[in-house]
Amino acid sequence: MGGLVRSYEVGDELPPLVKEMAQEAINLFEGSAGQLGPSQFTDEETARETLGTEGTVASGRMSLSFAIELLRRHFGSDVFNHTGTVDLRFLRPVRPGDTITFTGTVTGVTREVNGSRVSVEIKAENQRGDTTGVGQGSAVVPNAYLPQNE
Amino acid sequence: MVEADTRVLLDWDALEVGETFDTYQYLLTQEMIDTYRKGVMDPEASFPTISHKVDVKQYNAKYRDAGSVNARCAFYCYNPPIGGKTITVRAWVADKYLRRGKNYIVTEAVSVDEDGRLIDRVITHELKQPTEVGKKWGG
Repeated sequence: MGGLVRSYEVGDELPPLVKEMAQEAINLFEGSAGQLGPSQFTDEETARETLGTEGTVASGRMSLSFAIELLRRHFGSDVFNHTGTVDLRFLRPVRPGDTITFTGTVTGVTREVNGSRVSVEIKAENQRGDTTGVGQGSAVVPNAYLPQNE
Repeated sequence: MVEADTRVLLDWDALEVGETFDTYQYLLTQEMIDTYRKGVMDPEASFPTISHKVDVKQYNAKYRDAGSVNARCAFYCYNPPIGGKTITVRAWVADKYLRRGKNYIVTEAVSVDEDGRLIDRVITHELKQPTEVGKKWGG
């Protein structure tokens, strides 16, 4: 995807990203940093004691990772991995068994020295239609990746 | 035998914005990267540093509290980290605030690899009353 010449316009919708949350995925996420002890993310009893929930929840940083994926797929790795930003607020817990859909809409395109900053509004919803997270993201698309008339 | 917890009990009022924590270093292995990618179900995921939660790592090493819930997280991508490189993290307390009677702490961290490549920056807002999750969202 990266390197393609394309234009960006306010109102453009990003292809949605759907994630099926499983406890195994949560455990892998936590374990990837060597966090192997029981936590509110991996152990129901710890979650009950710490959060007062009946079961575990996924770290907000997993949703952050998914929002980053949503934008990276849209802008391309060579653009997003060097200029990308995501700022996400977590509104509801994401739990094992949830299906989370991330969507994005372009809200602004502003000229910068070396290209255009494309801003995106991000939303995450679970399978019940509840919003689990909202935020913004952006990337600076180099002039070489923009149509010449922009 | 269980080791005594020598960490300082958090006094939110006394916590100083700008407090900088000890530098934290870790070796990012390819196995960590692969496991992270499986966890987020994205074989091209480029910032496995996210799961290391480095912005709160040294906070948690210094302070003990009732736990926390991530309320907001901002992430800035500069250069994807490379497996086998040692990552150095500088973290600090960026802000703290009260909202609707709840205490929040904002931590910020910047990661750089052993070659001096800037990797990422992360800013996290943590709610320090984690039982609010259970009260608000139930089981």
